[in-house]
Amino acid sequence: MSLDKQFGVGGGSNPDPIGRILASDETLMPSSGFLAEVMGRVKEEAAVPAPIPFPWKRAVPGFVLVLCVFGWILYKAVRTAVLDTQRFELTLPHLSTAVGSALAPAAWVVLALAVSLLSWVCAGRMARGSGLL
Amino acid sequence: MTSTISRTKENPDQDAADVARVQAGDTAAFAGIVSRWQGPLVNMAWRYCRDRSRAEEMAQEAFVRAWRGLKGWRQESAFSTWLFALAANVFRSELKRFPAVNLPIEEIAEPATAAKQHDVLEGRRREEVVRRAVLALPLRYREPVILYYFHDMDLGLAARTMGMPEGTLKARLARARDLLRRRFPHLNEAPHRGPESTKREEVSR
Repeated sequence: MSLDKQFGVGGGSNPDPIGRILASDETLMPSSGFLAEVMGRVKEEAAVPAPIPFPWKRAVPGFVLVLCVFGWILYKAVRTAVLDTQRFELTLPHLSTAVGSALAPAAWVVLALAVSLLSWVCAGRMARGSGLL
Repeated sequence: MTSTISRTKENPDQDAADVARVQAGDTAAFAGIVSRWQGPLVNMAWRYCRDRSRAEEMAQEAFVRAWRGLKGWRQESAFSTWLFALAANVFRSELKRFPAVNLPIEEIAEPATAAKQHDVLEGRRREEVVRRAVLALPLRYREPVILYYFHDMDLGLAARTMGMPEGTLKARLARARDLLRRRFPHLNEAPHRGPESTKREEVSR
């Protein structure tokens, strides 16, 4: 069955009243100031300077530094773990304590990064939700 | 009365020329686009919310977003298709933030009395109740109905505006129709009633 027949809007002897009603909706004329209002907003937006782009060139040294710190922490942790496992007199609890003490600062850094990421994601969602983005 | 509003003043050449000027940085050229498309967009927004002032606000927002988006538009589809799809997205998100109707369709009251044959006002009121009931449909069924009738029952155009296959749109329209028919059973019976049966009904009340 075609949609027109299903909705009964194609004429015929027994049109579907719902289809007929929905097909005969009134037509609005925009108010006289509508065009001016839209153009006013558009001109306002056009007058706003473009957003400052993210300074990637300046940020690169920072990223490199963070990567170096992480690399160093990882290196120290692995080295400590390897050295400790080579000592036969160390028992398992001593080994885990040594590794744990080396990784503790790294855990704080990871936690701080996770909190930053979370707050960035939440801020983005809230901004999108309120129509700012 | 038939809604040919979605295609009024459509002029692809003028749209293309204005789009090129806007993309080249001529903000004033956007006025031509707004002037040609304000009617369709306000009417489309009206069907989403059935509130005149809100419809204009939503249409205004759609135009501003269109202006922002024009700079990056690659003209992969007709301008009208792109504009309607963008407007539908704007209206959808606006109505998610502040719904037009908070009642579920089951709670919308059907007009208690059948329209008398010559009672134009009563007939209009009943029709408005049915149109408003569309706003109470779940979004997945509501939007196909709105766009199908806005585009003069052009299934392809409505499907392109929603960015979905025609088959899916057709299925959703059929489901929407079922929901509305169930909500307004007396409306479906109305054309079969003769004057005598209407009289009998009035007497029995």
